[in-house]
Amino acid sequence: MNNEINLAWMYPDILNLHGERGNAQSFKIIADKLNIKLNIQRIDDIEEKINFSNYDILLFNSGELKVLPTILESLNNMSNELNEYIKNKKTIIVTGTTGALLANTITRYDKSTFSGLKLLNMDIKERTMVIGDDLYYTLDDGTEIIGSQIQMIDITLNDEKPLGTIKYGYGNNGQTTEGVIKDNIIFTNCLGPVFVKNPWFAEKILRTVCNQKGIEISEDTHPNYEIEIKSLESTKQFITSKVTNQ
Amino acid sequence: MKKLLFIFALWASKIVLLLCKLFKKQGSMISGKVATNIQKDFVKYFTNIDYSKTIFVTGTNGKSTTTNLIAHTIKSAGKKIATNTEGANMMSGIATTLIKNCNLFGKFNKEFLILEIDERSLCAIHKVLPAINLCISNLQKDQVQRNGDPDFIYRMFADTITKDMTLFVNNEEPRSRGLEDFAGKVVYYSLEKNDKTYEKDDFYTVTLPCPKCNHKIKYDYYNIENIGKFKCTYCSYKSVENPNVLITDINYKEKTFKCENEEYIVTYITPFYIYNYALCIAICKQFDINYQDIQKGFNSFVNPADRREIYKYKDKIIHYLRIKQENPETLQNALDIIACDNKEKAIFMGLYEIKDFPPAYSNTFYFFDCNFKKVVQSNVEQYISFSKTVCYDCANRMIYDGAPIEKIKVFDIEDDFDTIFEPLNEIKTNNIYIITGMKPYNKIKNYFKEGEKNE
Repeated sequence: MNNEINLAWMYPDILNLHGERGNAQSFKIIADKLNIKLNIQRIDDIEEKINFSNYDILLFNSGELKVLPTILESLNNMSNELNEYIKNKKTIIVTGTTGALLANTITRYDKSTFSGLKLLNMDIKERTMVIGDDLYYTLDDGTEIIGSQIQMIDITLNDEKPLGTIKYGYGNNGQTTEGVIKDNIIFTNCLGPVFVKNPWFAEKILRTVCNQKGIEISEDTHPNYEIEIKSLESTKQFITSKVTNQ
Repeated sequence: MKKLLFIFALWASKIVLLLCKLFKKQGSMISGKVATNIQKDFVKYFTNIDYSKTIFVTGTNGKSTTTNLIAHTIKSAGKKIATNTEGANMMSGIATTLIKNCNLFGKFNKEFLILEIDERSLCAIHKVLPAINLCISNLQKDQVQRNGDPDFIYRMFADTITKDMTLFVNNEEPRSRGLEDFAGKVVYYSLEKNDKTYEKDDFYTVTLPCPKCNHKIKYDYYNIENIGKFKCTYCSYKSVENPNVLITDINYKEKTFKCENEEYIVTYITPFYIYNYALCIAICKQFDINYQDIQKGFNSFVNPADRREIYKYKDKIIHYLRIKQENPETLQNALDIIACDNKEKAIFMGLYEIKDFPPAYSNTFYFFDCNFKKVVQSNVEQYISFSKTVCYDCANRMIYDGAPIEKIKVFDIEDDFDTIFEPLNEIKTNNIYIITGMKPYNKIKNYFKEGEKNE
């Protein structure tokens, strides 16, 4: 059993909006705090044949819709290997507009459409107006997640479980659901970068991966997230003042 | 009928302009607003505008500076120009500029019309004012709350540019340069590798997708953030080898550079400014303005939009750098200025929530588009992060790039500058930097100006 976690940072130059390289940095920093060895491998070249079995986490950061067909073409060429990866309950994390990559159908503002990887049963429609706001939601176990959202798409969940329940913000489509979770595929609209602002979320994912791989984390390992907790509280206060003043 | 309505709107707006002058209101937008409220396509009906001598300047960063520089230089060359130096760069601001520069029947009375244009307004303005010359300084992430991602603006530009237009683009900025395919004529301006050129080898360095094929863009080197000699790793897209305007022999100490072997002496000598000078030279050459006249303009150019100020406070020298929040390039430029100063220093960062458009929100992700490492390695005695909501995120960003936590003080307050600047009494170094957005500018400026007076 390999005692290390291997994270593939998928196409970091192409999926590069909203400072989300911070997500890759945060996994490294939090793994260090948990005394886990985490290796990050950049997948820079879309043409690169990926050996998915080498990885435990695939991290796709937020990118522009226009680049997704190029990425899809490449991933579709490796669909057997990718499906095997998913079958083995390995982790995929996707943030922001890149969530469209996992969907059934993506409809652009000019009505043109293209197919996603169909890994999540949801459909995507490009918005003509951007929504930019704070986003605050809770996971099933009550974990609070806070960040921002620059929403370029509306997401219709056909038959998928939302990742969280909205406390403030637009989420998937202006209703109560945020993101999607299906086995170990996690999609959130939350930016921030989300794992920098919510290290407890990254820790949760890392603990799950460790558990799967049989990597032990000492019971008395409790990272100090003082600054992030203060950030969470000040942002909640800011959101409350917005709601009160509305 | 439309012409009559135009005359009515023009006269009404000229009266408003006169009233603004009488009551000493600036009125950069009001008269134009009145006119465009009366007639939506008001701008379309002005006569005697030479579209071949109409120059639009748009892009994410540098619009105001470049417009001011071009307008000043062409004016110094003895040409009659109209421009929107007050930065009123949307339809009503453009209308005001025209109202100020026409007779009672809407006959434009200048030779050149040089306009800074808001990116999102470009398409609508070009429909009623079909300028032949379009300068795009760069196309970066900015005001994501209304612009979303850069492709959103790219598509708007692409829909506007026509084959009868001449496009002036930065040869080292891949995204805006990608618009070359839509224009009839393209003029490239460029900076040679120079003393401030740098490379990036950090593992977390990221670039952008190629605007033509969506694969990775790779930079050979950078002159400023996201601007440098580039090539696509997949298709043949790259910086052209022989740009129309190439700035060489940059001497930062002597404040000089060369273009086609002619030496220019300038007031502002950062790489960002030199790109603006390069664009100005490209425009001037297009209109046969000679070297002597260009140099005359550069000699006397003072940028009213410069965002750097210095105050003296007690025994401290305060360098105040203002940035556009949500705009990584302006923050990175400020950080680069600090990083270039190897003397011991203290840094106050006052980045606030974003309140440009409703709803206000606490976006801080642009911090992670910037690199704080060079600052952290530049001999910092203390970091102070202040603002009501996002001060902790800002402090955390510095920690992520290696700032020692014990050197960071956080104040979750905004306007209590006595408390925020109290550490100045304990900080040993006299070399102080402050970075903020536009919001607290006047208050901070007054705080230190008062302090100077009380000395």
